[in-house]
This record gives sequence, C-alpha cells and structure tokens, in this order.
Amino acid sequence: MLSLTLILVASIYFPGIIAKVKALTSGRKGPGILQPWHDIFRLFKKGSVYSTSSSFVFQIGAVIYFSSVLVAALFIPFEENDALFSFTGDFILFSYLLGLGRFLIILSALDVSSGFEGMGANREAFYSLLIEPAFFIMFSALAMFTGYSSFHDIFVNLHYDNYFSIMIAVIAGYVLANITLVETSRLPVDDPLTHLELTMVHEVMVLDHSGFDLALIKTATNLKFVLFSTLSANCLIPQALALWERIAIFLVLQIAFAAGIGWFESFRARNKMAMNAQYILSVSAVAMVLIFVIIIIKNRI
Amino acid sequence: MVTVFNLALLISFGVFFLPKKWKYPLCVILHVFLVASTTSWAIQAFTTDGLSIPLGISTWSGPITMVIDRLSAYFILIINLICLCGILYAGGYLKPYMSKKRAVFISLHLFSFLWLHGAMLLVTTMRDGIAFLLAWELMSLFSFILVIFEGQKESTLKTGINYLLQMHFGFALIMIGFLIADNQTGHLSFDGVASYFSTKKNILLFLIFFAGFGIKAGFIPLHSWLPRAHPAAPSHVSGVMSGVMIKMGIYGIFRVVSLLQDNLMAIGTIVLVIGIVSGLMGVIMAIMQHDLKKLLAYHSIENIGIIGMGLGIGILGKAVNDETLMILGLAGALLHNLNHALFKSLLFFTAGNVYYATHTVNMDSLGGLVKNMRYTSIAFLVGALAISGIPPFNGFISEFLIYSGILHHLPLADFSMSLVSIGTLLGLVLIGGLCIYCFSKAFGMSFLGTRRSEITQQVDEVPKGMLVPAVVLIGLILSIGLRAPFFGGLMVDILGQFPGINPSNLIREEISRSLTMTSNIHILLIVIIAALVLLRVWAQSRVKVATGPTWGCGYSAGDFRHQYTPTSYADSLRQIVDPLIDYQRNYKSFTEREIFPPPKTFHTESKDLIEEKTILSWVNLLTKYLPRAGVAQSGLINHYLIYPMVFLLILGLLTFLNVI
Repeated sequence: MLSLTLILVASIYFPGIIAKVKALTSGRKGPGILQPWHDIFRLFKKGSVYSTSSSFVFQIGAVIYFSSVLVAALFIPFEENDALFSFTGDFILFSYLLGLGRFLIILSALDVSSGFEGMGANREAFYSLLIEPAFFIMFSALAMFTGYSSFHDIFVNLHYDNYFSIMIAVIAGYVLANITLVETSRLPVDDPLTHLELTMVHEVMVLDHSGFDLALIKTATNLKFVLFSTLSANCLIPQALALWERIAIFLVLQIAFAAGIGWFESFRARNKMAMNAQYILSVSAVAMVLIFVIIIIKNRI
Repeated sequence: MVTVFNLALLISFGVFFLPKKWKYPLCVILHVFLVASTTSWAIQAFTTDGLSIPLGISTWSGPITMVIDRLSAYFILIINLICLCGILYAGGYLKPYMSKKRAVFISLHLFSFLWLHGAMLLVTTMRDGIAFLLAWELMSLFSFILVIFEGQKESTLKTGINYLLQMHFGFALIMIGFLIADNQTGHLSFDGVASYFSTKKNILLFLIFFAGFGIKAGFIPLHSWLPRAHPAAPSHVSGVMSGVMIKMGIYGIFRVVSLLQDNLMAIGTIVLVIGIVSGLMGVIMAIMQHDLKKLLAYHSIENIGIIGMGLGIGILGKAVNDETLMILGLAGALLHNLNHALFKSLLFFTAGNVYYATHTVNMDSLGGLVKNMRYTSIAFLVGALAISGIPPFNGFISEFLIYSGILHHLPLADFSMSLVSIGTLLGLVLIGGLCIYCFSKAFGMSFLGTRRSEITQQVDEVPKGMLVPAVVLIGLILSIGLRAPFFGGLMVDILGQFPGINPSNLIREEISRSLTMTSNIHILLIVIIAALVLLRVWAQSRVKVATGPTWGCGYSAGDFRHQYTPTSYADSLRQIVDPLIDYQRNYKSFTEREIFPPPKTFHTESKDLIEEKTILSWVNLLTKYLPRAGVAQSGLINHYLIYPMVFLLILGLLTFLNVI
C-alpha cells in the first residue's frame, strides 16, 4: 500500500509544480500548487452536457479509462514486497490495462461524430501504437539483465555495480522519460496548452467531455504521469538506504521530475505533427540500444 | 453413440425431400445429434487417455476408425460449439432468403453446412492417410458450396472457384506429404509420418505439410483465398469458416509438430518468421479495408499469425531444451485457437447483423448504428476488445502465455535466441497496438458517430434469435478471461499427451499462479468499473445533465460529412507502411475552368501486394503468353493431321537415338 500512497501523494503536487515552473520561467507568478486539483474537484461537482450524437459508449468511456489507470497503479512497487500485484510478466498486463483505457477513450471521441475529435482519436491510436514497443523493449531488456520479469523483481535486482550498468541506467532513464511524455501527451509530441484544435492530440479527444467525466479523465492523466515517474524513480533509488531516506528521495525526485518537465516545456517547441512518428520511433530505437548493451554486458555474443 | 453419429449424416439426405419450412428444424436436430455424440466422446477422451471408435464403414484402405486423443477432443469441442452457434444464427440470417431462393438451393446449403460440420469432426479424428484425405476433401467441397450460396453474383462464383482451386493445391501438397512418408515407411498414415520423422531429415516433409495445411490456415503468402472467400460467403458461413475451418489447418500443423524429431531450430525459426509476417501484414492490410467483413478476414490472418508465433517459439523451446518456453508457446498457440474461434465468430455474426439490418458492410456508408442496434453493438464491442487482446477478455490470456514464455527464456537465451525472442516480442506488441488501431476504426466507423450516408431506410435491431449465439459466445469469452487458470491447465493437459512432453508440476504451478493473478485482477477491474458507474450515477443525479450539439469550435452546421472516414482514419498509418501495400487513389482535382463544378467522386483501394507479387504476377504472365500457343489451333484438318505425324516422327527419332 506504501507505493499507492506515495503515488497519490506525489500526484497531488505533480501537476501543480509543472504549471508553477512554466509560469515562473515565462515571468508570471502563476497559480498555487494545488490549483489543478482545485479545478478537478470543481468539475466533479458540475453538471454535464452530452452531445446528441453520443451513446452509451461515451457514458462509460471515461469511467473505464479511469479504472484502468487506477488498477494499473496497483502494479507499481516501491519497496520490497510492496506492490499489491506482482507476478511473472506483470508489466504486460500493466501495459494492456492502459490499452483498455485508451481504446475506450478513443471510442468516446469517435462517438460524438466530430471531425476534430476523430482527428485526436486517430493520433492517439497511432502514437500509442508507436510508443508501446519502446516500453516493452525496455522492460524485456531489464528482464534480460536481472533475470526476472515482474516490476518488483526487476527493481529489486537492478544493481548498478559496474561502469557498464550505469549506461543501462542512463539509457533506461532517457527511454522512460520519453515514454512518460508521449503517454501523458506532453511536449514535444503534444502540447496540452495549445489553443488550436487542429494541433491537439489528447485535449481534442475530450472536447465534449464535461463535469464528472472530464474530472475523471483529468485525474487519470495526472495519475498516469506519476505512475511513469514512479517507474523511473524505482530505477534510480538505491536499495541500500533506509526506508525513510528512500521515501524522501522519492518525493524529491518527483518534484525534480515535475520541475524538469516544466523547464523542458518552457523552452521546447512542439514538434511538427508530421515529425511525431519519427520522433516516437526513435525512442524505440534507443530502447533497442539498451538490448545490445545488455547482450554485450552478459557476454552473449 | 456411433449409430447416432452415422444416422445424423444419413438422415441429412432427407433435407432435400422435406417441405421448405421443415428443412431448417431438421438440420438443427441433426446438428444436435452430431454434437451430442462427439461431445460425449471428447469428454471421455479428456478423462481417459483417449479412445478409438470404429464407424462401421470402410474405405479401400480399411475400416474407418475415429481416434480421439486430447488434441482431437479439444478441436472437436471447438467445432461443435461454433457450428452449433452457426446453425442457430443461420435460422435468423437465412429467413429473408427462404422466400427468394429456390427450395433446392436452401436444402443444398443446409445439407452442406451439416456435412461441413461432420467433415471437420472427421478431419480431427482420422489417423489413416486415406480417410484423413477423404475427410479433408469433403470439408473443402462442402465449404465451397457454402461460399457460393449467392452464386447468382458473378464475383461470388469467381471467388468460389478461386477458393476451390487453392484448396486443391493444398490438398495435393498434403497428399504428397503422406505419399512420401508412405514410400519410405510403408504406412500411409500419421504413424507413417511419425516413423519417417524418426529416421529421416524432418525439414522437407514438414515444410510440405506446413504449406499444405498453411493454405487452409491462411499463413502469408498462402492467404489470398481468405480475404476473398470470407466476405463473399453468408455471415454464418464466414463465422464458421473463420472460426473453425481454418483451424483445421492449424490442427494438422499441430499434429505434425507433435511428431517432429530433429531440425527443430530451422523449423521453429521458419514457422516463427512466417507467423510474425502473417500477424503484422494481416493486421496492416486489415486497417486499410473499407469492407467490414474483409477487415475481419484479414484479422483471421493476423490471428493465425499469432498462433504461428506461439507454435514457432514452442518448437524453438524444444530445440534449445527449454521446457517452459516450449510449453508456454504451444499452450498459448493452442488456447488462441479457442479464443479466436470465439471472438471471430462473434464478430462475423455481428457483422452479419449489420448486413441484415442495413444491407451493406461498407464502413464508408455505415455509422451511428449504436443507437438503433444496441445489443449488436455491445456484442461487437466485446468481440473487438477481445480480439485486440485487451483485459479482462480472453484474447489477452493466450497472448500473455506466449509473452511469458519469451520473458522466461530471455535471461537464459544465447545471442541468436535473444534476437529471435526480442523480435517475437516486438511483433506481438506491434500487433497488439495495430489491433487497437484497427478495431477502434472498425467499431468507431461502423457503430459510432452518425450515419456516413444519406439514410434511405429505418435501421432496426435484428430479431432476438440472432442474438442468442452472441450471448453464448460472450459468456465464454468472459469466462476464459475470468477463469484463466482452468483453461491454462487444460492446455497443459492436452500438451502432456504429445510424445516427448512431460509438463513438470513446477511449470503447472507457475502458469496457474500468474493466470490466477491475472484473473483476479480482471475481476477487480470489473468491480472497480461497476463501483465507479454507480458513483457516477449518484453524482449525476445531484446535478443538471443536459444534451446539446457536438462542440465544433463554434461551427454547428456541420453534418455527417465532417466525420472521420475509414480512409482518413487509416491514413496516418498508411504513410509509414506505404511500401508494404499497394494503395491506389482515384481523384481528379478541380481545374481552373470549372466555375460550376459537377459532383466529384473519390475512390481509394488497397490491393494485396503480397498476393500480386507471389501469385498474380505468375498468373498474369501465363495469361499473357499462353494464348500465343493458340496459333496451333488453326481449325484446318490438314494441320491437325500433321501434329500426330510430327509427334510419331520425333518419337521414332528419339527411340532410334536411344534417348528413350
């Protein structure tokens, strides 16, 4: 339960920090750290407007999206024996669960018969198709390195005891960071603050969601963010430290990660839409490098 | 029970002599006869080690005996289930045809459906070569008759003949395989094949069988009949053909694989690579289709590819002596047979519902059906999620078994096996992602949004009877997802009967442990969703809920033409897979002089590049050059008299020169 608590705690300040850092770098004072959650809670209490062309799929889409992310969160370990679910190959189920949510949110977008939302749905399906290999290659590389194939066992057995294995940490960190950005629709693939529907990916899919459903979607997106950053943190936190030290490192790492994203987004422009496919595929290519590094370390050639 | 089985096949001739309205009920009863007798045998085969049942009929090679081991029993259960669902579905689907078609065509159709069922049961139980080949031929013939049900259309008839020819090519290959084994060992049977494998090199004979069975199964590049025949056939037939008949090819491959002795590394790699190619190309081609049934047909190729991948890594596992990899791979492939049978027939039946209600399966003119056909769309949605391998449904379980096999092997693998494993993993992941892309398109374009053409008639939900098979299939799909350890254990039991495979308790426990966790998580997921739905209902009962037009950035005069279409949805993918497909686009843009332009049409089409390169290019060469030989057919009697004369002269000359 510790990891779930930490994920929830981190997700409270994570989106706020990104917004704050972006505001500060552009010379504004910016909203408070808790403003994003304040908005979400207000949404939960609001009424909804449904498109006349929508159906039951639209009604259940947001709920299933949120549930899938919530269940996926139960897979993430923090400490030994901590993840609620841990078994051989659990990262496959983790990824496919996120797939369930994605499928339903795409269908909800297609349900309202709008050209814009169709566009967003199409891009979401396309980009997630391209990013999934990176996630799988990376974790099967780590499985190859450690000899285990569940999140928990992989992280427990991930020791950086020689110079080669530091390379693994660097590459894995890079790949995971990029996966996080693509999966949560941030720059440089998608800009959540863009004002033009034609250039949106995730935001344009949820144009017609309102009230309770929109709040669920926003909550899920925030959770998803922390899910992936927790995975990165698990790669980085040394096992030898005491529990409170690790928790402290974890929370600081999350702040650093959020601030890093805010900083990165302040200075990076969004990719041209047509460039996105190439950019995302390059992440998988880097993940392939990880495989070869491990093959070399393990003397398989 | 033998009498029941034989009687059912015998009475089936009576269909021709009954009045029209009694034909269908009789057929249902006969199907139940077949199902009852063979299911009882199959269950016996599972509880005992296997049984053999003489049917009391003989061919020239001896009496026909059904030999049922667990592998046969498993396939018998799949066949019975899907055929029963098929005939139940046919009752509603054929109703509009009952008055249009002549009685003899109806009887022929129903008769063939029953015999297809019987022939498939025979295929799975015959061990003798002659009897097996006879059953195989019966299966091809009757499925041909079923495909050309709407043979008044020229295209359907052409498709049917194409199908028949390809099936016979496969038949010839299987026959050659048996004959080679017979020639070397003296047994024209699977036992002969087994003893051939234990003495000679395996790879050649295996490849012959693999090609022969592969045509039926639809492995790329032997797949070209599939995307033609499935759309041409009526939906209950496509459901049965795609659900179980192509699995007979897989059954044959499994039977042969269970006998393999050496060359395992090469054989495994070949099967694996063909599996990956079939999986990826199948789903990419599926995404490019506009025709819902053609899309589903290409998905059959994709799923056969996944089965091939499971088989391939299973064989490789045997080659590198990794028992876990072998069992997980083969179990995944085996379970995927059942899974694919369930969701593919469900999808074809629901596509049939769409055709029944709207008279089209062209996604360009569908859309918005969810409002009028609520139950059909729920069924299709479940099928779409299941086929994309999404939890909590069954497709995930079999893919998960294959994944876990690979993950288990990765830390132990040498260099080449690491690359092979990563390649397979990558293939599976890409197929999974492409499936989501494809089925969000298929479901979104046909059922969601608003209708993509001018509505000419009211669309209504199909009669309740046509939804009964869907309910049964959805129940099974969910039960595999939620009771995965049971089905996983069943697969290991079946594999335990293969020669040379003794699953240890360790493997059983490992499979059961991860599948139990998976199923529990599936249940938890459903509970959480249900709880959230209730919470949502409660939350919305306290606030104002309104309906309004879709947000269109301030522009609300748009109509159905503003929606994404199947072509535009597929376009982003098409740009990166362009070299793999033959995409054609027909559009003339406006010229400067057109002040009042007339209506324009826009047409896109994706042709099957592999079919064109492998089959059509040769056929086109033949059709181009063979007519030149027609010069000889001059119509003059004196020319025709010269030909035998020349022939005799050459013969004489060759004899004189001692050449022959």
